[in-house]
Amino acid sequence: MPRLISKTSSGKFCVVLTLILGAMVALTGQAHAANVVTTFRDENGWRLKVDGEDFYVKGVNWGYTPRNENFNYNLWSESPDRIRKVLDYEMEFLKKANVNAIRSFSMIPPEWITYIYREHGIMTAVNPLMGRYGYMVGGRWVEFTDYSDPLTRETLKRDMLEIIELYKNTPGVLMFAFGNESNYGLSWSSFEIENLPVGEQNTAKARFLYSLFNEVIKAGKEIAPNHPFTLVNGDIQYIDLIAELVPDLDILGSNVYRGPSFTDLWARVDEKLDLPVLFFEFGSDAYNARTKQEDEVSQAMILKAQWQEMYNKAWGNGEEGNSIGGFVFEWRDEWWKYLQDENLDIHDNNASWSNQAYLFDWREGKNNMNEEWFGIAALGKVNADGVYEARPRMAYDVLAETWSMDPYMYKKVAINQGFNDMDMELIALKSDVRVLKAESKERRQTVSFNGGSLKGEFVVKGTQKDIDEFGEEGLEFTDGQMLFLDVGFAPTERIEGRSTVNILGNVADTEPLIIQYGRRGLPVEVVIEDDPLICDPESTCPRIQRTTVLNDRERVEIYDFEASYDGDAFDVNAFYHVPRYHLKYEGDFFGLIRETTDLTSPDTGQDIWNAKAPSGIEFIGDEMLNGLTVMVGPELYWGANPKAVVKGDFSFAGVDYTFMHAEDLARRDEGVAATAATEIQTRQTTLYADINFRNNTRLEVGGIMASTEKVGDPYSRLEGSGVVFDEIDWEDTLGIKAKLSFDVGDAARSYVAGHYAGLVADGGDPLKEFGTRLPLSALGNKGVFEAGAMINRGNFMLFPRFMYRENLVDANPNIDPFIDPNTGTLFPGLNARNRDDDAFAVLDNREATAYELFLTYDPTGATPFYQWDNDVRENAPFAMNIGLNYTEYPTFTDSYQFFFDREGVNAAFGRGLPPEDVWEVSSRMVFVPGFDSRLILNLVAGRGQSTGDPTGGSRDYYKMDAKFIRGRHVFSGYFKKDAWGPYDFYRQFNITFPEQFRFDYEILLDELFHEDWSTRIGIRTLFWTVDENSPDDFYLDGENDYLFLSSLYFTFMF
Amino acid sequence: MRKLNEKLVGRIVLKAGFLLVVGAGLVGCGGPSSSDGVVANEIPLPTDTLLNLACADVGINIEQCVLDDFENPFRATVTKEFDPNDPDADTKFALNNSLPEGPTGAKARFYLWATALARFPSGENQYNTALALHELFTTSGDPLIREQAKRAYRSVWENFFGSVTVFECCGEFFPEPRDDTAFAVPLNELVLERLVRAAEFTSMSYPNGFEPLIPDDPSGLDAGLIELETQEVITSWGFNYRCTGLGAARTCFVEVSVFP
Repeated sequence: MPRLISKTSSGKFCVVLTLILGAMVALTGQAHAANVVTTFRDENGWRLKVDGEDFYVKGVNWGYTPRNENFNYNLWSESPDRIRKVLDYEMEFLKKANVNAIRSFSMIPPEWITYIYREHGIMTAVNPLMGRYGYMVGGRWVEFTDYSDPLTRETLKRDMLEIIELYKNTPGVLMFAFGNESNYGLSWSSFEIENLPVGEQNTAKARFLYSLFNEVIKAGKEIAPNHPFTLVNGDIQYIDLIAELVPDLDILGSNVYRGPSFTDLWARVDEKLDLPVLFFEFGSDAYNARTKQEDEVSQAMILKAQWQEMYNKAWGNGEEGNSIGGFVFEWRDEWWKYLQDENLDIHDNNASWSNQAYLFDWREGKNNMNEEWFGIAALGKVNADGVYEARPRMAYDVLAETWSMDPYMYKKVAINQGFNDMDMELIALKSDVRVLKAESKERRQTVSFNGGSLKGEFVVKGTQKDIDEFGEEGLEFTDGQMLFLDVGFAPTERIEGRSTVNILGNVADTEPLIIQYGRRGLPVEVVIEDDPLICDPESTCPRIQRTTVLNDRERVEIYDFEASYDGDAFDVNAFYHVPRYHLKYEGDFFGLIRETTDLTSPDTGQDIWNAKAPSGIEFIGDEMLNGLTVMVGPELYWGANPKAVVKGDFSFAGVDYTFMHAEDLARRDEGVAATAATEIQTRQTTLYADINFRNNTRLEVGGIMASTEKVGDPYSRLEGSGVVFDEIDWEDTLGIKAKLSFDVGDAARSYVAGHYAGLVADGGDPLKEFGTRLPLSALGNKGVFEAGAMINRGNFMLFPRFMYRENLVDANPNIDPFIDPNTGTLFPGLNARNRDDDAFAVLDNREATAYELFLTYDPTGATPFYQWDNDVRENAPFAMNIGLNYTEYPTFTDSYQFFFDREGVNAAFGRGLPPEDVWEVSSRMVFVPGFDSRLILNLVAGRGQSTGDPTGGSRDYYKMDAKFIRGRHVFSGYFKKDAWGPYDFYRQFNITFPEQFRFDYEILLDELFHEDWSTRIGIRTLFWTVDENSPDDFYLDGENDYLFLSSLYFTFMF
Repeated sequence: MRKLNEKLVGRIVLKAGFLLVVGAGLVGCGGPSSSDGVVANEIPLPTDTLLNLACADVGINIEQCVLDDFENPFRATVTKEFDPNDPDADTKFALNNSLPEGPTGAKARFYLWATALARFPSGENQYNTALALHELFTTSGDPLIREQAKRAYRSVWENFFGSVTVFECCGEFFPEPRDDTAFAVPLNELVLERLVRAAEFTSMSYPNGFEPLIPDDPSGLDAGLIELETQEVITSWGFNYRCTGLGAARTCFVEVSVFP
């Protein structure tokens, strides 16, 4: 098929072709009303034409990501009504600024491209990223796309051509573009490439990349002959390779960050490629990293200079004539860019990279590009339609004026005059902005109110026994109200923070069925006076006491707080009850810092216990101290002792190392949750090396020295029938751990791991990935072998895993001591150890052989099935897994402990858990049948042991929970049979219920349609039956059959 | 092709090496060997009466240094408390009952009860520790032990004033013999008796009863004077006692002093 878009043919020929094509399109009727877009060249340069008319691209990178969302947010999965509201709001702004085209990182569905075009006159560059940020190949998500891999090439080409086929007849499509700075992402490794000299490796990789681009473009043109094809290059790197390997390219698409001028780019493209140039990204951030404040003026000045140069380089101005426009980066700020999964509701000021071309805030050795501040509009607050408002910056007005000029209509002199004339207004604008900034700054320096929520509930609860005995009088009614107020502050340019205050009204007594945040305000009975005639007030002896009930306790508390200082040599972050992630992917191989992110979950979140972890201060070094992190705090993670942690990251001889030391400064004096035992005061030191070999093979090795304070501590063990007294030696504090990950063929990633830990070489929280239920343990006294293979076939993943663990010293049985009166000797006996009274104890680190198999079906790898927020992110119509874990525990354990609140100490259960084989089968299913519907279903069956009290033995249990969302209606609930109660202490004390039932329905009342952020009203019901395995005060020796609770509740967000 | 084979071999060597290291770690570093530690199936119990105090507060709640005292034969022994969920199980009393009566068992008794006290603070454990110290003083006359015994008794009052000890008896005295009945005895009263009427508790081993702890030198003092001195000391501790009746019918009660 002949090329319809020729860069060498004469103008007349193109015009004729365009007319013919236009006529054909017109004749085919409305169904084929796609635009005909061509490039046109004559002696004055290049022009882009749409349906025969000149079209200088006055574009922006457009996207819509609300606060609290990140790259996973998908507007197109929302309801049509909501999409329309967003588009109408957004495109109206763009239209007013004379924008005629957009480029979007998300694939806008064809119907919405047409909507944007027909309703707002704005065209869209369709730009699949073609594996730039990973890709699903052979059913496996590949983080670094290997463009040399035949299967990858085949997959990418097939998928790209399918996209072209889908969009080719869509009205509003401007062109097809592929990748995004893909030449900067040549990160895969392979034997073939690594064997080349270092300087040639990337060039070799680039050849694979560009040759694939051409394959796609060439084949694409046969499918969509009416549109030009381009790629999105990082600047003009590899321009010679592009000339050699992409002969079918129509336009050079490029992301260019060269500051106010594009310098020699025009001439070089003209010389090497003779193609029109279209910028897919360029611009400036609006944050001054030097002065630490918003800088609208500098952003506007740079964009003005860039567009003036682009206009000068356009057709007919006697210069290269190869500029056909560009897409400014970007329309709005994106608050997720820094950290990407964290601080999603915070506009971070962090500068991520350095660029000397932006002199207004560049400094030697400092980053100055603030990724979250590139918008020509700031991200505002949500409006009545549920759309986050845009606050145009000065650049918006400058560009609106720029885009009102047609570069083809005026000569160069007139264009420049136009820009020069604009200067006068800029000065005025600048002045206005300064005034606004001053006002804004003034506001920021005082405490600002950021919003909040008001919650209320009306509760009725009762038991079968009370209802039978007292009828309606047996029911208990309570009500509760709660207010959250969120405030922000920024006393200086380098310090900012926020805090939430919680205020209680009445507190509804929903216990025992629901334990929830706010229980600190429940009435409590306290001792107010001792009788001095009975006992010495100074002593602790039992005494006659008088008590009273306190009804108005702790009505106000600081719910959370965070603040940061952005310094030159180091940054400081203070945190109190805000989510913090673990550091296991950042060198914390032994998991010394546990994750504390579950603050608000109904059954497991720490809020129900009014816990305030994590809390502490973090120093992050910069410049000379780069790589050093120091954390100190009373509870760095939930349950942590007051602790100081030093972490140092460094590289040596091509290997990344991490050194960590954690030192407990004291011991907690109260347990976490209800009855979780407190941890002993200890210390740990680790060193970790991360070695990456060729062909995607990775070796991680770490060593640990822990609990050195226990050296010399005695312990006893059973050998044969004899008791042996021994003590902890230095070698008992040492441990080593290694993990080797490697590919097996194209579609399997395997690992083998070993861990030896001395008797007291306790680590931290083990890394658990992909839903594993292998009985991994933090404790020492073990030798562990573990292996697994992640096998991908199409959209399926099979993940078998195996773990074998032995103890160096077994748990102690309970053997009574005795005295032989004849010999006058003592046989000392043995008792199950516990963590407080003994140097170590065999608990969840017990001997085990575990087998596990997970089968996962997920056709959309970009929303990973095992991501923590997959419930809301999954965008496949159907995704599911099914998993089986079978674990043999052939030996008994030592004694677990619980926190005995009355005495304020840990207490041991006295006996260990017996040997047992346990298993669990589970399945999680996600159905997304439509844009506003979603069903998440979890099914579990298993046999398991208590986590503390062995009384009552193992339990067989069955659980099902589900959530169904349909528009503004949210249904959720669970049914459990013979399962432990919902809170940890139920399993700790082996307390089960014959049936547990919960149903919750709520309706979202605003246009946000967000389960967490929407105003809503709902009704909830819980019903538990009881038997002899349930708490005695529920069962009442068989006099009571059930408990129930119903509540009507609302949450008003503001 | 040859190169490819070399690479393959390299990978295999790498993985095999890793497995070797892991395997060696698991097998070679496998915990304590049989030569580690000391077999302790028969620990000789002390029969002498010379007690070395492991620390100043040994035997006084809440000091736990007795658990680190290498002279203590019970330091690694389970001293089980009464468990209402397992009422028939042997407890610390089974060990106590196996110790020889009289001076040869006194030191072992002290270690047993001091160990039990360190593990589980209770009035019963504190009282029996005090009693063992009293017994040791009676046989050794060591003034240090006398002071420790006084402090241990005082600790019962100060820390476990309302505690009781339970004994079972007397089933055979009923017209139709039945199981023994449990009786609770306040420990504060037992302490008072031991302080005021030590010499009255005679047995085969101690035919003259225990030596009075108060005053320091009771020789030459009659019973009345001894009691007066005892009362003065008790008052200085912040407690009073009063007695009713005479002779065998005399009963005494201790109480917290309102004006210590």
